[in-house]
Amino acid sequence: MESLLKEDVRLKPFRFTIERGKIKEFAMAIGDSNPIYYDAGTARKEGYRDIPIPPTFPTAIEMWGGLDFETLIKLFGLDPLKVLHGGQEYRYFGEICAGDTVTCDPKLISSFEKRNLRFITIGIHYKNSVGKDVLYSESTIIERGASKNE
Amino acid sequence: MSELKMIKKPGITHTQLVKYAGASGDFNPIHTVVPIGEKAGLDGVIAHGMLIMGMAGEALAEWFPRKDLRKYKVRFSKMTRPGEKLTIEGRTTGEIWEDDEKRLTGEVSVKNEAGELKLSGRFEVKI
Repeated sequence: MESLLKEDVRLKPFRFTIERGKIKEFAMAIGDSNPIYYDAGTARKEGYRDIPIPPTFPTAIEMWGGLDFETLIKLFGLDPLKVLHGGQEYRYFGEICAGDTVTCDPKLISSFEKRNLRFITIGIHYKNSVGKDVLYSESTIIERGASKNE
Repeated sequence: MSELKMIKKPGITHTQLVKYAGASGDFNPIHTVVPIGEKAGLDGVIAHGMLIMGMAGEALAEWFPRKDLRKYKVRFSKMTRPGEKLTIEGRTTGEIWEDDEKRLTGEVSVKNEAGELKLSGRFEVKI
């Protein structure tokens, strides 16, 4: 597969509406039984507007919202069998709860090769429906055996 | 510096990886399709790194109110396979001022029963 020039990779903004059922499904998959993810009444009692998202739920927003594995592979010309997740960072500026619609603006932060590994870092700024910054997510993926001419 | 309550997770199952793939939308087949994991030289399927980060995130929201979490950053170390039982450990490391609020800083790590490190991370929570 011909890979796009690194500088030319265009990551498009996308929107995602968070649903209670998706949060519950996500918490269940992790085995996280915290009641604030399952019951809106409990969440409100604990001071949330509605069911809040778990700390790593933004990955579901990104994957289901448009930046899924297939898309990343295609955009960066990666070998799907050689891609691993190297690191992940979240900064939380505001509450995100079920019922919210967020707008995500992804940017390529860096892309470089080191010792036959290719590192790609993508940063995503999240805004809520009134334009307030609510979250920043930064993800580094690694392609093993990055030199295509090996 | 103070230790936080250790959290033990049940063994990871192949079914859990399928569930997490659906929940997260990460359908990279190295996590769910054994022949593809083998073809990738991984000796079978490996867990999503984000599932492991999610388990450590579960611990964070048990140690502190979810809404007080401000920063959570991890590096993935060794791969995790079905059958492994993971433990989440954490400790607070200090206090800082940022964005006009006082925050606790801390470290979190996830290990298997043999003590192999899967993930190491740092976090900040509002006090």
